[in-house]
Amino acid sequence: MSTPGARRSRGLSLVAVVVGLFVVPLGLRAVNTVVRQPEAAPSYIPSIESPRVRGPFDRDAVAALREAANDYILIGDSMAGTRINPGHLSRLIGGHGAAALFHPGSGPAYWYLTFKNFVVNAGLRPRVVVFFFRDENLTDTLFRVYPSALDRVARNREPALDDILAARSQGTFYRLHGAVRRLYQYDQTRAWLEPLILRAPVAVSAGRRARKKLLDSINNEVFTLEALRPAVAADMMTASGEALDFSRNLPTSVLPEILRLSKASGIRVAFVRVQRRPTADGPPPQSPALQEYVRQLRAYLAANEAIYHDDWGDPDQPLSVYEDGDHVKRDFRNPYTEIFFRKNPEIFR
Amino acid sequence: MIFHSLDFAIFFLLLVAAYWTLPRRGQNALLLGASYVFYGWVHPWFLVLIAATTAVDYGAARGMDRWPGRRKTCLWLALATNLGLLGFFKYFDFFVDNVAAALAMAGWHVPRPALSVALPVGISFYSFQALSYVIDVYWRRTPARTSLLDVAAFIAFFPNLLAGPIMRATTLLPQMERDRQFSASAARDATLLLAWGFFKKLVIADNVGVIANKVFALRSPEFYVLWAGVFAFCIQIYADFSAYADIARGVAKWLGIDLVKNFEHPYLAKGPTEFWRRWNISLSTWFRDYVFLPVAYRISDRLTSDRRLLLDAATWAYAGGMILTMLTAGLWHGASWNFVIWGAYHGVLLALARIVGSMRRRRRRVRRWLAPLQVSGMFILTNLGWLFFRETELAQLVRHLSLSPFQATVLGRRTGAYLFFLAALYSIPLWVQSLWAEFGGRDFVAAMTREEAEPAAWSVAVQALLAGLLFAGILVLRSATSLDFIYFRF
Repeated sequence: MSTPGARRSRGLSLVAVVVGLFVVPLGLRAVNTVVRQPEAAPSYIPSIESPRVRGPFDRDAVAALREAANDYILIGDSMAGTRINPGHLSRLIGGHGAAALFHPGSGPAYWYLTFKNFVVNAGLRPRVVVFFFRDENLTDTLFRVYPSALDRVARNREPALDDILAARSQGTFYRLHGAVRRLYQYDQTRAWLEPLILRAPVAVSAGRRARKKLLDSINNEVFTLEALRPAVAADMMTASGEALDFSRNLPTSVLPEILRLSKASGIRVAFVRVQRRPTADGPPPQSPALQEYVRQLRAYLAANEAIYHDDWGDPDQPLSVYEDGDHVKRDFRNPYTEIFFRKNPEIFR
Repeated sequence: MIFHSLDFAIFFLLLVAAYWTLPRRGQNALLLGASYVFYGWVHPWFLVLIAATTAVDYGAARGMDRWPGRRKTCLWLALATNLGLLGFFKYFDFFVDNVAAALAMAGWHVPRPALSVALPVGISFYSFQALSYVIDVYWRRTPARTSLLDVAAFIAFFPNLLAGPIMRATTLLPQMERDRQFSASAARDATLLLAWGFFKKLVIADNVGVIANKVFALRSPEFYVLWAGVFAFCIQIYADFSAYADIARGVAKWLGIDLVKNFEHPYLAKGPTEFWRRWNISLSTWFRDYVFLPVAYRISDRLTSDRRLLLDAATWAYAGGMILTMLTAGLWHGASWNFVIWGAYHGVLLALARIVGSMRRRRRRVRRWLAPLQVSGMFILTNLGWLFFRETELAQLVRHLSLSPFQATVLGRRTGAYLFFLAALYSIPLWVQSLWAEFGGRDFVAAMTREEAEPAAWSVAVQALLAGLLFAGILVLRSATSLDFIYFRF
């Protein structure tokens, strides 16, 4: 049996460790006052990103769009880029034609910011804005959130997107995460420490001359999109489980925000689900969960007066027109554009 | 529910607060309820499986007591249920794929039925934990329990439910059956274990995991890039898995339960046998007791002569039993041929180690100065094993093994070196802990988490500082990419 003194001592030691656990990290604030990165600014998505030097917002693109005043604006990633020829589409529809804002390797956060900052807030009034996506992309909020790419379309503050990303990545208590971040200011420490860690191995990996360029070479020559396995490059891994739970993922996705902006601005939006790579025998298989997801997505978009088109099972898009992964062959671009125009009278009415 | 989420932190704080106000039976009932909430958080239907497993195993053990003449029938019932569920959910698609492929080779093309059912996370772990209870009752190592509540709480005990350590009935059940008192020193040690576990997962495993994932996403990585990726995975899997074990031990300690240590600095092993004494100890001992020993005895019984091909019968029995056991252990990890290859590889290593060991005993003792070479050699062999484990495409695996270091480009060499040093940088805390344990005389985390009647003030201050530094490290250095615990998929 331990004495009351020993018990008290053990109790105090527990309190000391718990206090140390939460108090010692406050030292980060002191460290931050000594080590500063003056040029770094808080991110527009601070919940998931440390302060950094951001790239510029693409004002030229907005100016060009304003000048062109297109009737149709198309947004998407390389799936749309390999399928749609905007020049050919413009010839088909006449008038002010269509503008393509495709960005390879982009995801729903990029598409949302493009729509918000390049179209709605820029004062454009196209007849329809069309979003191209695959399966569960629209509610897969964290899919391809690449800050360096987002810079082009993001303003200095993006509170709506930040809230959505925080809610998705940090769960129900994301505001508590924000409070912890503000208390310890760990994101400011991270802003200068992380680059130091990433650069440290460069000195022992390359000669003095090659050091400067090594990280750029690794990113631009070794880990390029073309160097990835086809299944990875095309993100062919079909989603399953939680990713296909539409009602669970919808509230923490950009989709409601896109529809809200659409209603507020009076710009009609359309969503085109491109077909993944089919099999030799027919369209790509769909799990019951994916079928249910698509059913719910379709119903949700209809309820919000958005247009929906599904390429799945289109006999005009057999396996033979596909290149690698879900991309189609270059010479199928114009035929696809024509199919897209022909099969979407609601969009091009 | 996952450990590294605020959902879990709140769940755990509420649980601990309520737990220590209850008597023993109330604690066990609360543990069972909490474990089921924890397990069914995302997929409530998983609870049906664990409840069915519990009912069958409890009933089978009770049946052995009630009908001594039908003990074997009861055992087979439990084995069929546990292994049947495990086989169906984990290996159905693998089995169908391979049968379809075999039939296709014979010219029969049959449509492949698809089973779109998620693998219930943790099923491999709790099935083995439950089986240990039934088998130990059958072997009369432990009595059949009358309390369904205790057995259910034992099988579903949430800290080790999803990724081990696999606890034996003889170790965990007695702890559930005795009164537990809150111990501030145990809670203090548990807090430090939790901080260390979360640091290993969020800072080390997730950061090096990103490197490994990037390399294994490449279509044709060069030699040095590939092996830097393998090294990163080697660090990732240890940091990740041992982090889970530490967090599980920390959580259990807060509840007054001691779980076994699952790792003992495995990358300092001097040979395959020692590696498996240090790696995933609870699984290795499970396979040793319930697969290897019965198989080896059976082989030994069937060998008629004492010596064959220069080796004695015991060595043959060991080698045969070990290869079979490791093949099974490989398949336990996942329904894929790369795991089978990984298991076979380790089985052969263990068999060779035994053969070499038996020859060496007859000659001379190995000198101590060879130890660093042995550790390095085993580390390289372990990395080769992790290549088999990580690479799921067999064609890619063949390609990787045919790579030559002499055909690398300058950029390939530099990239490999960069990735290797980056992974090594993140892994420094792991190496410091292991080397301290090996050469400093004591594992500092273990030293910091030992029971003390009245801890010295300096020791508490160091613990408080260490806990705070670990938390600060997590806040600042945690990977932006949060990866699942690797062993969840097994």
